[in-house]
Amino acid sequence: MSARIVVDPVTRIEGHLRIEAQVENGVITDAWSAGTMVRGLEIILRGRDPRDAWAFCERVCGVCTTVHALASVRSVEDAIGVAVPPNAELIRNIMFCTQYMQDHVVHFYHLHALDWVDVVSALKADPAEASRIAQSISHWPKSSPGYFSDLQKRLVRFVESGQLGIFANGYWGHPAYKLPPAINLIGVAHYLEALEWQKEIVKVHTIFGGKNPHPNYLVGGVPCAINIDEANALNAERLAMVGALLAQAKTFVEQVYLPDLMAVAPYYLDWTKIGGGVSNYLCYGDLPTNGFADIARFKFHRGAILDRDLSHVHEVDPRDPEGIKEFVDHSWYSYQGEGGRHPWDGETTFNFTGPQPPYEHLNVDGKYSWLKTPRWKGHAMEVGPLARMLVGYASGSAEIKDAVTEALAGLNAPASVLFSTLGRTAARGIETRLVARWGLEFYDQLLANIKNGDSRTFTKEKWDPSTWPTTCRGVGASEAPRGALAHWIVINEQKIANYQLVVPTTWNGSPRDAKGERSPYEASLIGTPVHDPKLPLEIIRTIHSFDPCLACAVH
Amino acid sequence: METIAKTAAVAAPDQQTVYEQMVSRGVSRREFLKFCGWISACMGLGTEGMAQVANALENKRRIPVVWMHFQECTCCSESFLRSSHPIVADILLDKISLDYTETLLAASGHQAEACLQDTITKYKGEYLLCVEGSVPTGADGAYCCIGGRSAEAILTEVAEGAKAVIAWGNCACSGCVQAAKPNPTGATPIHRLIAGKPVVNVQGCPPIAEVMAGVLVHLLTFDRIPQLDALGRPKAFYSRRVHDTCYRRPNYDAGLFVESFDDDNARKGFCLYKMGCRGPTTYNSCGTIRWNGGVSFPIQSGHGCIGCSESNFWDNGPFYTRLTSFPGFGIETTADRIGMVAGVATVAGVAAHAVLTNIRKHDEIGEQPGESAAAAPPPPAVKPEDKGGTQP
Amino acid sequence: MRTNTLPAPPHAFQRIYVWELPIRFYHWLNALCILTLIVTGFIIANPPAINNGSEAAFSYWFGTTRFIHFAAAYIFVFNLLVRIYWGFVGNQYANWKNFLPLRRAQYREIFTVLRVDILETSNKVIVAIGHNALAYLTYTVLFLVSLFQVASGFALYAKMSHWWLPQLFTWMLPLFGGDASLRNWHHFATWFFIVFTIIHVYLVFYHDYVEGHGVISSMAGGWKFLPTRHREAVQGKSWFTVGKASPPHPGRPGPPP
Ligand code: HEM
Ligand code: HEM
Ligand code: NFV
Ligand code: SF4
Ligand code: SF4
Ligand code: F3S
Ligand SMILES: [Mg+2]
Repeated sequence: MSARIVVDPVTRIEGHLRIEAQVENGVITDAWSAGTMVRGLEIILRGRDPRDAWAFCERVCGVCTTVHALASVRSVEDAIGVAVPPNAELIRNIMFCTQYMQDHVVHFYHLHALDWVDVVSALKADPAEASRIAQSISHWPKSSPGYFSDLQKRLVRFVESGQLGIFANGYWGHPAYKLPPAINLIGVAHYLEALEWQKEIVKVHTIFGGKNPHPNYLVGGVPCAINIDEANALNAERLAMVGALLAQAKTFVEQVYLPDLMAVAPYYLDWTKIGGGVSNYLCYGDLPTNGFADIARFKFHRGAILDRDLSHVHEVDPRDPEGIKEFVDHSWYSYQGEGGRHPWDGETTFNFTGPQPPYEHLNVDGKYSWLKTPRWKGHAMEVGPLARMLVGYASGSAEIKDAVTEALAGLNAPASVLFSTLGRTAARGIETRLVARWGLEFYDQLLANIKNGDSRTFTKEKWDPSTWPTTCRGVGASEAPRGALAHWIVINEQKIANYQLVVPTTWNGSPRDAKGERSPYEASLIGTPVHDPKLPLEIIRTIHSFDPCLACAVH
Repeated sequence: METIAKTAAVAAPDQQTVYEQMVSRGVSRREFLKFCGWISACMGLGTEGMAQVANALENKRRIPVVWMHFQECTCCSESFLRSSHPIVADILLDKISLDYTETLLAASGHQAEACLQDTITKYKGEYLLCVEGSVPTGADGAYCCIGGRSAEAILTEVAEGAKAVIAWGNCACSGCVQAAKPNPTGATPIHRLIAGKPVVNVQGCPPIAEVMAGVLVHLLTFDRIPQLDALGRPKAFYSRRVHDTCYRRPNYDAGLFVESFDDDNARKGFCLYKMGCRGPTTYNSCGTIRWNGGVSFPIQSGHGCIGCSESNFWDNGPFYTRLTSFPGFGIETTADRIGMVAGVATVAGVAAHAVLTNIRKHDEIGEQPGESAAAAPPPPAVKPEDKGGTQP
Repeated sequence: MRTNTLPAPPHAFQRIYVWELPIRFYHWLNALCILTLIVTGFIIANPPAINNGSEAAFSYWFGTTRFIHFAAAYIFVFNLLVRIYWGFVGNQYANWKNFLPLRRAQYREIFTVLRVDILETSNKVIVAIGHNALAYLTYTVLFLVSLFQVASGFALYAKMSHWWLPQLFTWMLPLFGGDASLRNWHHFATWFFIVFTIIHVYLVFYHDYVEGHGVISSMAGGWKFLPTRHREAVQGKSWFTVGKASPPHPGRPGPPP
């Protein structure tokens, strides 16, 4: 029994992803991942003012909004040689933590949960039972039997209306769903609560950056001025609102997200053996606590792990011409000449060789995706929450180590379970909890700085392009929610001569390389059991565990 | 446009009205009316409007909505999810039937495609089409494919049976960032590809959540598209420039400007005009509705408006200068730079000409021998007809 | 002391009434408006840092600058309309047909002027009583750019006005890709006025200096002085035959005999 499954569109992700998978006797034996939309941002950026680049880059993605803006301003600051004032760093860090919380919570409930939570089964739940479970795992106040019963009635009426909306044609009743009805009901309840909550936490971005999605950034600092004696600047009221939002967010993460994650996980321990994929992990690190130059004091560590060997963390240098390279052997681009390109020498030239739409299948022996294929020293690397937790763990970060150990203890499982679909999903929750804490730490530091009389948020000295060298180049690295993100910029005569983004989902979702080595999505699907080849539930479970973002990946 | 909701009601007579759904969720009548008041205030309808809104929400069924994603960044969807009035997020989920959106749909692949096909066949002529993203017309559609079909083919199909079309955000309205020069994929706004259907352009990158909600509520409540301006934008939200409702406007009139980010003037919240603020040339509701539940908007948080609700705003840069690059002369060549070159060239040319004149025209300028006033013969008599203007 | 026994001029001049009062009035008002619009326009484009008040309520200088721009703009527009009207009712030097280079003779004169006055490769005598054909052409371009400036200016102004007149021009906005880029064009066109003024003023002085026909003062008093020895050259040779001939000015005497 052999079948080629096509999943296109993969939904509950950002962007346009197509998965083709070969299934032999109920198990996936090969898989191809293709990004099917391109915009050409790297081409559009050429010739523009580097100080504007962040705004263009931010529009790469509205789901992980801000992270590209951050990487972009960092790349320009690196190129022209400017360090931002401590307050600007702290505000960027707070916005970063905010982004993680919003993005990860939305991923868990709105993009991923329906792979594990059966909405239809929730109709059969006993609300009292749901209440008992909810109260046993968390202090979250909305957990009375009445609350769950009201919710269930609402759900029943919704289903009876016959208009199922986004729940139509779901995989309800599929044997891969394992949760008891009561937990399914909790999941649905929190799906709706999280929808309400996520729009609150982003107000931190609104305060510092004026709006969300797509708050404003600035080369050399942040645009919002601090003046605690002025109505039109960041004053006590604005800062207090940030504090309150961060505190509320931490509560939600600790009392809803993590308990739900820990309640669901034990039912899916078989998924700790599925979806491991490649065995190499890469992090650039982020959340500087002593200026961006002091990499050693990042909250998220920089480094690479090869062959799941946690005893050794390899050093990563984004400037190393032999380190990171992008290949286009299976991507719809052409390079002048052979081999890969370090992003400073990167090229973006479209070369579509695929089938003309409408098509049934891609020609997977040739080029088959709009994603380029990044490699670190020739290795396919997984990036993202799991990579961050592993690199942090292996680098000896006490905070990360404690958080991971605690979670594993809760599941009563060894560290090896992390190399899996469920491990990836768990790592995301673990780091969200850390970030919720860190956000408040940075907030306290910001207040302390202001109290000590430092209210600077911007460094003017290199603002004027005439102060820049004729040619310069820089790299802006970050840890986006989905993983290691960096922008490489080459500036010539005050304009962008080359701009290249290598994005988390480019690492994870890219087509295979010239040697045929698979990138994480493709690798992680191999060996996955498929109950019914017509229903791609198992495939999207693993793919969703990476939290794909295709607008990011292709840009 | 005739009644969207009525037809939907015929199709599914057993559905609940919005009001019934709200009540079933424990929303009190008072809260419901408060919500209606808020919505009508947002749409500038006043108190009579509120009764109309309440009536519509009490009696109408959920309308099927198909939300397509093409070349975009999903920030419009994200923005929509931020719709901030506590009841609004719920109401919008419950008062429309969001039958297709790749961002939230439980089903993937063939099952997702079936959702789309079911809706557009079952509700032909009745569903609302929302489009997020531009459509690339280059490379025969290969720049954006879903399920192996080009965005353009899909748009044509889904627009066919749509009652009305909403273009979400700058991408769908004018191509946004991917249409910035040199527009490598031929990104095209959807109104250029849809014929014979009203297209409501809800501008912004992204649009304000409450504006998105407001436009939907308008459509559902009044069964017709809102009044649009010449660019297809709902007047209720895009008839004023950001500058006209900007709370820093008194500083502008007083000539109190921020000269550099984080200078004393910035810390006092002076006007950001000289930092490149595009408020004076941008139509949006940022100054009135503000963002994320009215918390702030770009200018309030210290950054100038970059004009994100205007067509081609990406090519009206650079963002931090008042005078932007001039079309046709390459990026960063401003009108002033061109003018200055022309001005200097003119002065130089004039000076050179003056020198040349004194050389070449020497004979005419200098007094001819015998022409000096003193030595001149007496004037000839002037004949009467020579007086005044004569036509030769 | 002027007496009747003035020394005789080198050659006799005929005094010709060329610029009627409305033209002269138009000219100087126009010049004043344009200079005002250029100066206020540039201040609007790039306001100087004179943050002399700490509170917005204490000052309104930028608003005033803009007000002057808009006020000058209105005067400029109506003045322009007056000039257009005068192109139909004024004397033949003011006639609208002169401004359109439709006849071959006009082209011939344009090339002659280029050779004589601009390149200075010829010393042929050009006697133009009104403007020469090239000058008329440049004024035509000036009128067109003025119309553009008016249309773009009012399109930008429409949002600040309730009057119907500015609203008539809002079609310019989508045509030029929105307010921002139209404003950029409006700014760009300003440079045309600057360059025009430099060349124009220079050439007026040039003609006065080289030819001595009293061109400068003609925009004040209306009279030009045509050497009688050039009458022959003018008669029958000029392309200048349109419009109604202005009669000898009744109220004004010729030069004293
Ligand atoms: C902003 C500045 C100015 C502008 C836009 C301007 C514009 C014009 C225009 C449009 C005409 C043609 C008049 C008509 O036929 O209706 C003209 C003629 C003339 N202007 Fe100006 N002018 C300016 C400044 C000046 C100045 C400063 C002078 C004197 C120093 C001057 C002297 C003249 C003279 C003498 C004529 C008649 C030229 C001739 O007979 O060919 N103008 N000007
Ligand atoms: C010779 C004619 C004119 C010149 C040289 C001129 C010049 C300028 C300049 C340089 C600017 C600044 C543009 C920028 O922001 O970069 C400006 C702005 C403006 N002008 Fe004019 N202008 C002229 C006529 C007009 C007219 C006839 C109007 C009609 C009302 C007008 C209305 C405006 C408006 C509305 C602005 C924008 C001001 C604001 O929004 O604060 N202008 N002008
Ligand atoms: N991949 C990716 Fe992003 C993230 N996180 C970007 O850097 O999602 Ni839109
Ligand atoms: S308009 Fe802007 S915000 Fe909306 S999808 Fe396009 S890039 Fe994103
Ligand atoms: S900050 Fe911008 S929108 Fe506000 S008054 Fe100044 S120029 Fe206008
Ligand atoms: S940048 Fe956009 S969000 Fe509003 S203030 Fe300007 S229109
Ligand atoms: Mg790239």
